[in-house]
Amino acid sequence: MRNRATTKLNKPKVRQSWSKWNLYNLQRFKLPFAVYRTHFQQKWDAKSAARAYHGEQVSEKQWTGMFSPRIRSVMPMDARKLAQDDGSLKSAGRGSGLFKTEEDALKEEQKQIPYSQMTFAPLERRLDVAIFRAMFASSARQARQFVIHGAVTVNGKPMRHPSYLLNPGDLFQVEPERVMYATGAPKDKVDRREIRLANKEAEEAKEKEAEAAEEAEGEAAEEAKENSVENPRKTLKLLLSQAKEIMSTDKKTLPAKRKQELRGFQKAVRRVLSRSESSTILTDSLESQFSQLTLLLRAREADKKNKDMEETQEKGEEAEKPKSKPESSADDAEATETGQQQLRDNLSEAFAMATQNKEVDMSELTRDEVQVLKRALVQMRDNPIDHSKPYATPWRPRDYMSAFATIPRYLEVNHNICAAVYLRHPVARPGYSEVPSPFSDSVGTMAFTWYLRRR
Amino acid sequence: MAPRIQNQVVSNSLLPYLSPSSTTSSSTCLPRLPSTSSPSLAYRPRQSCRSLSSTVAPQTRRREEMFGWLHGPGARLKNHVPGQTNYLTSFKDKDGNLLSSTKIFPQNLMYRSESILSEDLRNEIYDRVVRQKRSVRAVSVELQVDMRRVAAVVRLVELENRMKEQDKPLALPYARAIHEMVPTSNYNKEYGSGRPHEGINDLPVHRLTNPQIFYPVSESRQFNRVDAGRVFSAAPALETSQVEENAADPYASVARITQNPGSIETVGKGDDEQQVLQPSDMRIPHPHLVAKERQNIINPNEFHKNREIYNERLAAEENATQERKLKAEKRREKQMLRVQPADSRFEFRIKDVVVSKETTGKDGRGARAPGRRYGVPSYDRKRGQVKIPTRVVV
Amino acid sequence: MVVRIRLSRFGNKHQPFYNIVVAQARSARDSKPLEVIGTFNPVPQRPTNLSDEEARRARAYKEVSLDRSRAKYWIGVGAQPSDSVWRLMSLAGIVRESKKAGESKKATEEKAQE
Repeated sequence: MRNRATTKLNKPKVRQSWSKWNLYNLQRFKLPFAVYRTHFQQKWDAKSAARAYHGEQVSEKQWTGMFSPRIRSVMPMDARKLAQDDGSLKSAGRGSGLFKTEEDALKEEQKQIPYSQMTFAPLERRLDVAIFRAMFASSARQARQFVIHGAVTVNGKPMRHPSYLLNPGDLFQVEPERVMYATGAPKDKVDRREIRLANKEAEEAKEKEAEAAEEAEGEAAEEAKENSVENPRKTLKLLLSQAKEIMSTDKKTLPAKRKQELRGFQKAVRRVLSRSESSTILTDSLESQFSQLTLLLRAREADKKNKDMEETQEKGEEAEKPKSKPESSADDAEATETGQQQLRDNLSEAFAMATQNKEVDMSELTRDEVQVLKRALVQMRDNPIDHSKPYATPWRPRDYMSAFATIPRYLEVNHNICAAVYLRHPVARPGYSEVPSPFSDSVGTMAFTWYLRRR
Repeated sequence: MAPRIQNQVVSNSLLPYLSPSSTTSSSTCLPRLPSTSSPSLAYRPRQSCRSLSSTVAPQTRRREEMFGWLHGPGARLKNHVPGQTNYLTSFKDKDGNLLSSTKIFPQNLMYRSESILSEDLRNEIYDRVVRQKRSVRAVSVELQVDMRRVAAVVRLVELENRMKEQDKPLALPYARAIHEMVPTSNYNKEYGSGRPHEGINDLPVHRLTNPQIFYPVSESRQFNRVDAGRVFSAAPALETSQVEENAADPYASVARITQNPGSIETVGKGDDEQQVLQPSDMRIPHPHLVAKERQNIINPNEFHKNREIYNERLAAEENATQERKLKAEKRREKQMLRVQPADSRFEFRIKDVVVSKETTGKDGRGARAPGRRYGVPSYDRKRGQVKIPTRVVV
Repeated sequence: MVVRIRLSRFGNKHQPFYNIVVAQARSARDSKPLEVIGTFNPVPQRPTNLSDEEARRARAYKEVSLDRSRAKYWIGVGAQPSDSVWRLMSLAGIVRESKKAGESKKATEEKAQE
């Protein structure tokens, strides 16, 4: 639901927000035609439009206190040019510079520094604005809420003041769950319905299980064993077909359909796990599911004799070549370093083994298909379906997010952990200003003069 | 984070939102051919709820316009295109391919969406600094990344590793999506980084250079950056011998200052005392690069020798910085006495201060003297006093 | 009249901060002293810029700043440190360990003799 008070359709204002209403307003934003306005009116219009975007959550009094007419700027220096000339070339010719040709002179002429676009640079120091700029929240207001609700730390200590002014070198971090919620697509009707269904199914299954457990305790174990013995080939085939289905779906199919298929895949994985002898209990956590699956494949491989071991390993390496990352390239000593890496290696190895196995049809499991299966599993682990989350799962970015996606250079962001470092204050450089602002130069200039007046 | 697979066969096309084909198809077929592909999602203009009235409420008209735009020209913005920016200003060419642009705001020509460090480049920086033990300065020059950014990357990767160790949840799909939306500076183990990530020799514009000064100089005289700095800070011109000395060995004159910033000459007296504005050769973050270029100009053919000299100078620069840091640390330690009494939970750090005429001043209120000032009321309980912290120490 | 070396309270509510001052014994606590020779912050500070391991073992610290030469001078001319200042100065090594060290020593000797 949009915020009706801030993103309205008549007399539109551009806000620090990713909503589609705001995108529409941004796209059609126009200042009143300057010819019919007095100078004061022009300044007023510019200032009100600019303030609606820059620090709309900050009171005017607070902002006027922050405003500074002195603007930071830098000049990019070329070491070669500095080496060629100690500056006397530029001051020669009675101060107009000695240049060989006119072209050189033109080249020397730098683009102008857009000082007036830096009017609102002091606001970028605020914690809530910085969180929005780092793309951790979908609007500055939401960023502010995160801070107030205690989801933000600065230099590892909780900070509950949205107006905290970051110093160069400060590291701020938002809880990843909140960021996923803020930037992920919301749950829709279909999602909620499926959650309901899933819950219902789970309950029924529980009841059934309870009944079944009472009836036959001894038989079940034997049956499971039988299944697992005849299964290995089937299971792989089944999984593969599911993964293939996901990969091969038409371009025309809707996202909802794909989601369904992904769910089907997940179920298939579960089924496999429940059948295998290593996991008699259905594992809930995806991480453990993943490892179980690898174990299952491992166990199968262990049955095989060791004679074609070398051969398979070679093949395994071959299979991994097309991947860009060298980390998983069959270097076992390195691979044992981290658990995740090891897991990934095991999996690829296991799948490579599987391809070698004569029980499974070689034609059915090509190298690419193994990759597909592996990729599907990895993604399922990284981006699982989890109904307890407040956003639509598997996570996907919210609509129209890409139209606002930019990260200014004065921040260094690590999105994996939702942390960023405020490197320095934003600066202007020739032809470029670091403050992200949707307004043209003229708006910036007028707003600057408006606040300059009051100094 | 799981490896991002660049292989075409196994692209990110598993999930619906990751697939480039699905996004483009949805944008093309939805608005124009709503009946064929998905009638349920097709946009239909709303009927007025008052069936007998012929006039349309203004808000409804505006909403119609908005949804018309969102389903028409704005539809391509709904989902992102991996590896490309998808901004208001990017447009489609004749073949229907999306041409990405870096201009995110259509009206602001002065802001571009600049690239961020890719996962690989970030790991490479961390690897070079932490595992290969290279200095931040050297890594910054090699990879063309600002020194402050290098330091920040090391901090962030360190934090990420710690979070992984503690099994804390990471926002992996989110990170992947962002890296697909925003331009990135890539790094390849074989080819290195393509184009420089950012300019590393940014010279901050100094306050003293703001005023325009008319300063007549005789045409026979060479007026260079050093002279300009002295004019800006109202310092007398350099002696001829000094000028000649500087011209003879420009690197030595720069190194003298960069390796010992305390030796910068000052002008003015009392409160007006300030340092003489140094030329940009010394104020840029990597002064040694200028010396390197100069060496290349003097001996353009002796590549190896030039490189040796450069490495020596770089090492000297780093040593000087290290030494300076150590000295300052020692001085601080010398003034500090740490006592850990047996009967106390706390450590006492006793610092030496000086109470004298110089520090307290004539009226005893000098700012350099120890202690809180007398005669100044504390307004902390007054209304409107801002009490949020100004810094958080790590 | 006696000149004392004592603490005078500055800072805010729940946030004490003391100046170590040399003042006439009968003057008000926070009145202008003869001289300020140092400060004492009784609020323990967490040491910063440490690794995880170090931070676990590190002790919180209290900051004292003191001009030793002035302190010695004032004691030399007969200024009497208050108990709390005596403790701080003894930590700095300017005065004996305990204010009544002489007596206590005697007492221990007597005990030993018995």
